Amino acid sequence: MDCREFRESHFAFVDDTLPGVELVRMQMHITECESCARHDAAVRRSLMLFRNLPSIQPSAGFSQRLEQRLLDARMADMAAANSGRSRKLAATVAVTSVVILGYIGVSLREVDYPRDIVFPPVVASAPSSGATQIDSPAPEMVVAVPAGLPIWTAALYAEQTAVYFASADLTATAR
Amino acid sequence: MANIARKQAVQPQGATVREQLRAADDSAVVTAFLGGEERAFSELVERYQTRLLNFIYRTIGDREKAEDLVQEVFIRVYRHLHRFDRSKKFSTWVYTIASNLAKNELRNRSRNPLVLFQTVQKNWQDDDRPLQFEDSTSRPDDMYRKRHLREIVEESVAKLPEHHRNVFILRELEGKSYEEIAEITDCNLGTVKSRLNRARNSFAEIVAPYMD
Repeated sequence: MDCREFRESHFAFVDDTLPGVELVRMQMHITECESCARHDAAVRRSLMLFRNLPSIQPSAGFSQRLEQRLLDARMADMAAANSGRSRKLAATVAVTSVVILGYIGVSLREVDYPRDIVFPPVVASAPSSGATQIDSPAPEMVVAVPAGLPIWTAALYAEQTAVYFASADLTATAR
Repeated sequence: MANIARKQAVQPQGATVREQLRAADDSAVVTAFLGGEERAFSELVERYQTRLLNFIYRTIGDREKAEDLVQEVFIRVYRHLHRFDRSKKFSTWVYTIASNLAKNELRNRSRNPLVLFQTVQKNWQDDDRPLQFEDSTSRPDDMYRKRHLREIVEESVAKLPEHHRNVFILRELEGKSYEEIAEITDCNLGTVKSRLNRARNSFAEIVAPYMD
């Protein structure tokens, strides 16, 4: 075994984790090499010093402070959970409102609300000027009757109302 | 009267639960906590607070900050224990959290050059330091030598590169296996062994002049 190999395996030698054969080789190298023996001793002594450093203890108020911090953490977690819940609730309300408004909007478009009555276009002819020639033997009677009266009352009125014919001769005859 | 009788009946039960928790392994304590037993968390704190404090303190070199970080570790454990993979070791998980927090702290410090490890250590009042390393029956000059030596050891650890120091402390102070260290530091096994070897050699070299 050379010094390089010894140094590379030294951590396992110190930790006593080397297989038997390796361990014997390392031990033999120490007996032969003064430099590696010194190195081995220096490492072991320094480790002993470090391992024997006094352990420090938590200060007097450590437990109380920890308890307080744990309590704060618990409260913060609860508050976060609550705000999360109320945020969820607000989001749900908002989404529901949008859905309802959308539904209402769509429904309103489909409803038949009163519109202006549109009649189909009519072909009208201009009236001819001058008096109408009456061809029929029975005279056409034009009766002026006030609107809104029942028909029988209108009939009574009609009897008493002056009768006008389209032709002035016929009107005179009727009188 | 009925209340008193009920209290007397409850107290021994509470004591029994605590004793059971104390006797249980980490995995059982974690299971108890997840099952709603709040006292199980106190048991975990009891088990790990000193170990984590020493680990973080040796890594960052600031006692006050180390205590803060240990508390942060426990808060994270409390919040995320339900996400912990129980097929793994609880201690490895806790040390991973602690190691990451310590690393972050060192990273933050390196961004702020005003706070240095050595400065923090020198500012630390001697009166606040624990005296377990000293024997009160020793002569004053022995006590001084011991305290001086301890300072040298602490400063020597601080001189190691961060990633070497982390592995070194986990192995030498916490007694973690190579595999556990690999998991905690998120490195492969070869890297852990190489870092450990280098850290040990560097540490020995730094300390050697003071040991003769």
